Amino acid sequence: MAADTGPAVSAGSAGLDARRWGTWIFSVGIWIIPLLWIDVVTYMTLTIAGLTMGALLFLTASGLTLIFGLMDVLNLAHGAFFVWGAYAGFSLLNYLNTVGWVEMASIGPSAGSLVLVLLTALAVGALLGIILEKIIIRRTYGNHLKQILITMGAALVMAEIIKIFWGPNDEVILVPAAFQDSWDLFDIVVNKFRGVAIVVGMAVFAAIQIVLQRTKLGIIVRAGVENREIVQVMGYNIQRIFTGVFAAGAALAAMGGVMFAIFKEQIYPGMGDETLIFALIVVIIGGMGSVAGSFFGALMVGLAFNYVAFLVPKLALGVNIMIMAVILLIRPSGLMGRK
Amino acid sequence: MAEPILSLKEVHTYIGQHHILQGVSLDVNAERATVLVGRNGAGKSTTLRTIMGLYPARSGRIELDGQAIQHRKPFDIARLGIGFVPEDRAVLYTLTVEENFRLAMFRESEEGRRRLESVFQLFPDLKRFLHAKAGILSGGQKQMLAIALALVLDHRVVLIDEPSKGLAPVVVEHLGESLNRIRDTTTVVLVEQNFYLASQVGQDYFILDDGRVAHQGLMEDLVTDHELKQKYLGIG
Amino acid sequence: MAHLTPVQQERFHEQRTRYFRPGFIIQMAALAALVAIPVAFPSFRVMDVVAKIVIFTIVVASYDLILGYTGLLSLGHSMFFGIGAYSLALVIYHAAEPCWYHLLVAAGVALALSIALALIIAFFSLRVKAIFFAMMTLALAEFADILAVQWYDLTRAEDGVSFKLPGIFNLGWSGPTLGGIEINGRLMTYYFILGVSVILFVMMVRFIRSPLGRVLKAVRDNEPRATALGYKAFRYQVFSIVFGSSIASLGGILFAMWLRYVNPGSTLSTPIMLNILLMVIIGGLGTLYGSIIGAAFIKITETWLPDLQKLAEAVFPSMVIVHRLAERWILYFGILFILVVFFFPKGFVGTARDMIRRRKAVAREGP
Repeated sequence: MAADTGPAVSAGSAGLDARRWGTWIFSVGIWIIPLLWIDVVTYMTLTIAGLTMGALLFLTASGLTLIFGLMDVLNLAHGAFFVWGAYAGFSLLNYLNTVGWVEMASIGPSAGSLVLVLLTALAVGALLGIILEKIIIRRTYGNHLKQILITMGAALVMAEIIKIFWGPNDEVILVPAAFQDSWDLFDIVVNKFRGVAIVVGMAVFAAIQIVLQRTKLGIIVRAGVENREIVQVMGYNIQRIFTGVFAAGAALAAMGGVMFAIFKEQIYPGMGDETLIFALIVVIIGGMGSVAGSFFGALMVGLAFNYVAFLVPKLALGVNIMIMAVILLIRPSGLMGRK
Repeated sequence: MAEPILSLKEVHTYIGQHHILQGVSLDVNAERATVLVGRNGAGKSTTLRTIMGLYPARSGRIELDGQAIQHRKPFDIARLGIGFVPEDRAVLYTLTVEENFRLAMFRESEEGRRRLESVFQLFPDLKRFLHAKAGILSGGQKQMLAIALALVLDHRVVLIDEPSKGLAPVVVEHLGESLNRIRDTTTVVLVEQNFYLASQVGQDYFILDDGRVAHQGLMEDLVTDHELKQKYLGIG
Repeated sequence: MAHLTPVQQERFHEQRTRYFRPGFIIQMAALAALVAIPVAFPSFRVMDVVAKIVIFTIVVASYDLILGYTGLLSLGHSMFFGIGAYSLALVIYHAAEPCWYHLLVAAGVALALSIALALIIAFFSLRVKAIFFAMMTLALAEFADILAVQWYDLTRAEDGVSFKLPGIFNLGWSGPTLGGIEINGRLMTYYFILGVSVILFVMMVRFIRSPLGRVLKAVRDNEPRATALGYKAFRYQVFSIVFGSSIASLGGILFAMWLRYVNPGSTLSTPIMLNILLMVIIGGLGTLYGSIIGAAFIKITETWLPDLQKLAEAVFPSMVIVHRLAERWILYFGILFILVVFFFPKGFVGTARDMIRRRKAVAREGP
């Protein structure tokens, strides 16, 4: 469902091309302009941090954009999946700590813990996604206002339930030992977990693209994003596909959540709301329904945030909103969305 | 004549507040081409979409080979053997031609591949553009693809909604020939504004007016009945 | 009298009986009750809750104007509320001595800012589809919240701004004692807030009933049709957003007057927006009077639910999970919210009006 980055599909589209190129030039500019003010070493550190944040944001945003693109559902409870994934991982890490896995510095137990944690988050996210879709979401199809209100309510409820089980305070989350230090590359200090995060992010992106482009399921999903009706009349149970995609989106968000928590070494019930705003911005910038768009959008948001946080700290949180506003003005359907 | 393969009995359909189908009854006979004609807004497309389950029938009965289908979901109806070629956007532009076919072939099978080959013989252009995104095809080619997608499975009935819309006359001619080759093996229900095409392909006709069947019969009789054509179709 | 059309006859009848219909009587009774409350219940808590209900009624009604009557989902309404509150707080804070004209200055500043922002938002609402609009206003409101929290020099961030009110509103002021009740600053503030709120509310009601308001409803229900009839939908939508947002910021000023302290958490934050949403849904979208019910319900529960929590703790002193369950009254709000959206999408007043209308229709049709 990511439209190709070549010439636009419809005829007579000189104007369309100009806008699209405009948004891309603007986006790439974000990567390069900071070099005017920052020295190379700091720039590289910030870039790594930005790419990490981008990779993690992508996990959350990809689910959101797929859900909106395919089901036309605005899910403001997405942040709740994020936070539940984080807490599930948190508890698992605490347990793994009691059997000594987390402390061991060798790569085996650490990688193993991470894999287990990711799988748990995935399972928790998928389960919550299925439940939410069946109980609530499917009753709101076609009614955006209801969706917004109900998912806001659901997000609230899910965050409160977390506070019941885990308490409302900030907690420190454990980081598997092998990922705790940093590598030193040409004077650039790269925190190991950041590297892992980037790798995981890219792996997930690759996996999603493979599924979407090369499997029958991917064809069905991409077709559904473009035109739900045709898929239905060809004999596919679109409802089951919706539930599946919703669950997948939730699972992705949950994985993003636990990775993010480990990255920040901190976990608190309000994490979901803050990330949701960023994820929404990413989805708008990248284009609703485009996974590739949310990948590039996420990287952009992550980089912009880190560069500006270094240059003008007070502006950091606002810069992404400004980028979103600019993109909305130039090309409301985002970098890779369809008009 | 044997039992009709598809029949509608007093079907009422509402779209929002509007009472579009006000008691449509018609029978479609197997391995013949049936055409629904009538003015704009008469309810022709709505009839097809109601059969397909895209609009829920408020009352009445729809039967496929005697089996009631009026309350079923579209994907169910498709699996029972009814194919549907919608009026607009019957093809997925962001997928390649090949992917469109893969999607249409619900189950990939040997028989499916054979049908695909015969479809390619019917529409050779589609084979040429197999790996191109369907969006770049011309209007006529898109329409060919749309119909081809419905032929790739062994449907019992194929519903086609205004295939000639927006196509040049020479393309419509080709379309007519293709449809004629299909109607011997598959039951076709065609909604068509273009009376020329309707009369070329159709063997039975139903005139829809104000959400009801106003007249029916054999196409060969309608062609010469200028009074009917003038009254309900505004032509002749 | 010349022969009147049925519509004119109906209107004439309506005008004649307008002071005797049950609706009007209830309104007068409610107003009388609001005036009497500080006298009848000397407890500060009661007056506090009522004042907050009154203020939030205005804010929620102004939101209903935008969402219920114009059909635009803006998630940034709390921002205007906060602008009003902070305008008053900062104007007085930076002045040497609070004077009554500071109120007017604050109102001016707040209105100027609100109108400017509302125009920007309205401009965006034309360019983008509904969902984007909602998200943009959400992002904007978050931005304002973040700004307030981070920009210490301007807003004192989380510490908040504490200030005194001028003249007769000052807490220290006391006037004569009438019939056993001491007239002091707090009482005067209460009546001022009540008075201004009633005026604002009546303004909104008249607006809705005016031809302008009716066009808005037409645009909400069927925009293409309204446009075809010659009404430039956009203009009306802009007016509605600006009007509603301005009233919200005036509500913010009243709120600041009552609390004499503002901080981001009590004025700008997302929970405030959620509260407003909850109140408007419970009361009923598209029913101005519903905002009274919605505001009252939420504020009353908010104030007295913590007491319930203490009760739970007293009865079950050892079970931590019960404590946690009782603490999480926000959870119950959330569930309530979801249930209301599903089962009573028209809210309290909306559903009531539907029922009354149905009963009237049945009566009219007869046996």
